[in-house]
Amino acid sequence: MGIDRTTVHEGQPLLDLRNVTKHFGGLAAVQDVNLQIWPGEIISIIGPNGAGKTTVFNLITGIYRVSTGDILLEGKTIVGLSPDRIVRRGITRTFQNIRLFNNMTVLENVLVGQHTQLKSSVFGALFRPPHTVHEEEEARKHAIELLEFFGPELVERQEEYVINLSYAQKRRVEIARALAAKPKLLLLDEPTAGMNEAETLEAVKYVRRLRDELGLTILLIEHKLAVTMGISDRIAVLDYGRKIAEGLPEEVRRDERVIAAYLGKPTTSERETEQQAAE
Amino acid sequence: MNFTLIGQLLIVGLASGAIYALIALGYTMVYGIIELINFAHGDIFMIGTLVAIVVIDALGAANNPPTGIALVGVILLAFIASVVVCAVLGVVIERIAYKPLRNAPRLAPLISAIGVSLILEDIGKLWKGLSPILFPQIFPNTTFYLGSISVSTIDIFVIIVAVILMVALQWFVNTTRLGRAMRAVAQDREAAALMGVNVDRVISITFLIGAGLAGAAAVIYGLKFGSTVFYIGFNLGLIAFTAAVLGGIGNLTGAMLGGLVIGLISSLVTIIPNSNDPSTHGFGLPHGGVAWVEVFIFGILILILVFRPSGLLGSHTPEKV
Amino acid sequence: MAVSTNDRWLVPARDTRMLLVKWVLALLVPLLVFNFAWQGDALINNVILGINNPAAANTTLDQLIEAAVFVVVFYVVILILAGYLVASDSGRRGMVEVWADVLVFLVVPILLINATANLILGVAVSAIVWGIYFLLRKRIPAFTRLQPQSLLDNLQVISQEQRAAIMNRARAGGFWLGASLALVWIIFDILFYVSGQLDTELLIFGVVRTIILPIAGFLLGTLGGRVALRHVLNANGESENGSRQKRERLQATSRVREEAADVVPNDLPLRSKGARNFYLLLVIVFVLFYPAIDPFLFGYGTNGRLAGYGDAGFYVILALGLNIVVGFAGLLDLGYVAFFAIGSYAWGMIGSTQLTNVLNLPPINPQVLSVLFWPMLLIGALIAAFWGVLLGAPTLRLRGDYLAIVTLGFGEIVPVFFLNLDQYTNGTNGIVGVHSPAFFGIDWSTITPVPYYYLILALIALTIFANIRLRDSRLGRAWIAIREDEIAAASSGVNLVRTKLFAFGAGAFFSGIAGVYHSAKLGQVSPDNFSFGDSVIYLAMVVIGGLGSIPGVIVGALAVYSINLFILAQLDSMATDPTNFMYGVSHFITQYIPGFTFGNIRNLVFGVILIVIMIFRPEGLIPSARRRRELHHEVNEGPEEGALDVIPTAPGFETEVHVE
Repeated sequence: MGIDRTTVHEGQPLLDLRNVTKHFGGLAAVQDVNLQIWPGEIISIIGPNGAGKTTVFNLITGIYRVSTGDILLEGKTIVGLSPDRIVRRGITRTFQNIRLFNNMTVLENVLVGQHTQLKSSVFGALFRPPHTVHEEEEARKHAIELLEFFGPELVERQEEYVINLSYAQKRRVEIARALAAKPKLLLLDEPTAGMNEAETLEAVKYVRRLRDELGLTILLIEHKLAVTMGISDRIAVLDYGRKIAEGLPEEVRRDERVIAAYLGKPTTSERETEQQAAE
Repeated sequence: MNFTLIGQLLIVGLASGAIYALIALGYTMVYGIIELINFAHGDIFMIGTLVAIVVIDALGAANNPPTGIALVGVILLAFIASVVVCAVLGVVIERIAYKPLRNAPRLAPLISAIGVSLILEDIGKLWKGLSPILFPQIFPNTTFYLGSISVSTIDIFVIIVAVILMVALQWFVNTTRLGRAMRAVAQDREAAALMGVNVDRVISITFLIGAGLAGAAAVIYGLKFGSTVFYIGFNLGLIAFTAAVLGGIGNLTGAMLGGLVIGLISSLVTIIPNSNDPSTHGFGLPHGGVAWVEVFIFGILILILVFRPSGLLGSHTPEKV
Repeated sequence: MAVSTNDRWLVPARDTRMLLVKWVLALLVPLLVFNFAWQGDALINNVILGINNPAAANTTLDQLIEAAVFVVVFYVVILILAGYLVASDSGRRGMVEVWADVLVFLVVPILLINATANLILGVAVSAIVWGIYFLLRKRIPAFTRLQPQSLLDNLQVISQEQRAAIMNRARAGGFWLGASLALVWIIFDILFYVSGQLDTELLIFGVVRTIILPIAGFLLGTLGGRVALRHVLNANGESENGSRQKRERLQATSRVREEAADVVPNDLPLRSKGARNFYLLLVIVFVLFYPAIDPFLFGYGTNGRLAGYGDAGFYVILALGLNIVVGFAGLLDLGYVAFFAIGSYAWGMIGSTQLTNVLNLPPINPQVLSVLFWPMLLIGALIAAFWGVLLGAPTLRLRGDYLAIVTLGFGEIVPVFFLNLDQYTNGTNGIVGVHSPAFFGIDWSTITPVPYYYLILALIALTIFANIRLRDSRLGRAWIAIREDEIAAASSGVNLVRTKLFAFGAGAFFSGIAGVYHSAKLGQVSPDNFSFGDSVIYLAMVVIGGLGSIPGVIVGALAVYSINLFILAQLDSMATDPTNFMYGVSHFITQYIPGFTFGNIRNLVFGVILIVIMIFRPEGLIPSARRRRELHHEVNEGPEEGALDVIPTAPGFETEVHVE
């Protein structure tokens, strides 16, 4: 399992992955992954391409169903729940390739994120009773507040279609949308992908603020090692679907297996056979 | 249970199934390669039947059924005409109505396909009118008996032709360079392009072959069932598509298998008695199984798509054309 | 914008003069066309004559009064509009462009309606002209608009002087339109009088009119100016209109921009939101009073036309219903006709003796039956909605094309059930003697189609209202989110199952309403009325009009209805008339294609239209703002194929992806 000198945590973990395994046909995309995340942490998952990081995210958020193993949120299992139910339990995410609703405005995207926080249905839509009107107003206010978290820019552009925004701005809207559901745990899939240095630094800042100001627990997938080293409380390393290391940033950085995984040095014949099998 | 009857229906079912299989192949090939349900495919089949009628009439064979070599010649010419026209039609349709929409959202080519289907149906209507048209019954149809079950030579002919075509297709796809290219494009279009495959040409050829098969199916359909009408493309297309999905969309063997299964089922359903008929004492369905064939087949489609969307042969053979 | 305080409405300054020429001419031309080409003057003249000698006119007093009201409202609104447009013009849009717009959007439809003697046909053909105009307008550089400067730079607090100047302009606009109209009109009147075609009393009325119009123009122009300034803040920061404060609370820059679109200076006065309200008002008034004014406008054939509009009307409802499923939620339903059939049979069976026959009960008293229609509208819709949910359920996990096929299958199968279960539904013979509704004891089947016309108007209004409310709600956002990206929607908390089922149910609900109306109006139901071909037509309506766009699908419905029932039939009847040029054309074609009639190529026409639209204008004739962006944005980001977008046989498809 690699070096695992975890700091002492109290109470039950917010998120608990226990021997999580996912098969696609004959191939195990994720194998026996164990991971605990405590409230208020920022945890990074790193690993070479194809290591199964996004698959882990998809498993947590219910888009894929776990083959074996369990995933617990605050002690209760969330395996088998649909993605929208998992949102209601308190986990939201962003996507590697930014999946915004292109033909909606910035504000509307964030409003969709609030779907679970609002109650009105067909009746409310048709007849607009006072409580529905009030609810919508509050929703808009809250959405604007969320946009304000990132500064005045997005608030000013709230009625623009997201397709006109820059990449970094789109990323922020996606995060705002994820925040709208008032999550306990936020999953960020490569939040700084495609960003230049300045944008990356900014992103790091607001990720920290998300934890510090909003009290969120954050799990991120990140490729830029500088980012992960700087921001994470702990790092977990995946390779070929298995967790090969976990611990504090400095520990992980020096771990042989981690270095080998990234540089591609086969350390065991097992790895070679796996490579052949995957082709 | 009347075994003769069942045996009879099995033979008929096999023959229809063979035809469905040929049509289904067109659907599955096109879907496998560009993920489009070619709505117009059934109507291409219908056009093929009309072409065959015209050719046979032109050769004067309708009123003076030829025999021997002349018969073979006539049938061969009908085949060639139908296959060629359908194949060309398939390619033309692809170029005009589907290619410009290759990068459009998924709804667009589907609607375009519906448009093509409408156009072809009206062409059929204009060409040969609204009512069913008789297909010249020039195939010498004799019956012989396997035990108590009567088998017609036409059924044998249909099955043999279909099998030959299917085997040829399998050979083509699995051994030739072009067949390999088709499989590559179906699996991963970009990678295939990077490997130097001319994707556009491969797609056109896929349509060509699929439509050509429909053309062949058109001739044997006509010879066996004896009539055609401008709207059969729609009904048969739906059935054949169900067969393709049943077998596993994108899977050639699946389409063949699916076709046979659907043929058998549609044949056997006709056994169900008419519950309106007093002699059945209310058992069966109103107007008999015959009136409900569509419902059964469609029911199968829903069941597959809900419970096993990858079809019978789907998940175990990720290999597609 | 040069605003001079020396501006007087009677002797306008040069800038204002140009504005006046631009707008007064722009409005005058369609008015004159309406009056003289389409006999708008007949409307008024007959009203006058009729009021004076009721016996001489062949219309009832009711109709006269309604026509009179219409005339007054019509001209009032136009004069206000004149004031509004002149006041809110920033001078950025050229004269020629405005005239071209007015020509295409107003004059052409009027002429076409007149030529075809049918409202819907005229509008439908106009829509085609509009479509062509849009396409051309982009290509021809002379028509390109000037690029507007950022409105924000020009947005300023309006001072008292500027306010006064703007009001002056408005007054001038109204006055001069009224005056020029009066002038032209009285000249025509005098000419007609001199040539003996005009009654004396009409001439007297004409003189009165010449005095009233300019005065009315002045006053109403003032009103128009006030409307143009309604969003404006005073120099001291307060707004004229207290309720604006609610908006100012959420004052984002872009919001201000939006509102500024209505305020001086204005880029698109013809199309601004304020102007749009006027147009809507005019259309509503026109449609409401139509049965009264039709005899004056067309002369004869009113009842036939009204019956036709009633039929076209339920197409509109069907299109709006399908728009929810296909346009909002993005679920390609090819079997929509099934729910229409269910609605039709619902009333068909209850509203006739069928159900009572089947249940061996005595037939319901016909008078009770007629009243039963009204609750049945709702109940039939609910039954259809129920089936919408039921038939939608198996499709929930299917992707676009498969969904289409399955729904298509349902569309085929449901009529088969109605056909084969003939012990209940009377099968191929259909049900006849379906009752019409009654209102206050009058049975509709015995009188003119007017009640059906108003009924369908009411139903359409309700449907539009419901659609707009749904679209702008939490549910509507969820639908659009699903259409855009199902996975992202689910990951944002949208329950895919419930939301999709709601879409099916809502869509089916409206088709149920249409079904009940249809079987009542037609008086019978039979399975032949419902086939896949119909589903295609409904889909064509939505696609041609513009997926997801409410005005778009209305126009699409009218266009498709016209093609389906009018244009081709018209062409056929023209082809049988030897004096018509179509005769020769049709003859020529039938030499080569014996089976040819225009009616026969209906599907061909639709097929070509569908393909052409998909390739060249997939957003439809009148697209929703969203859609235009979706399909024509410069950076063509193709459909995203993430790790979650897999095809059926590959591992990871529905068996793995589990979003409910």
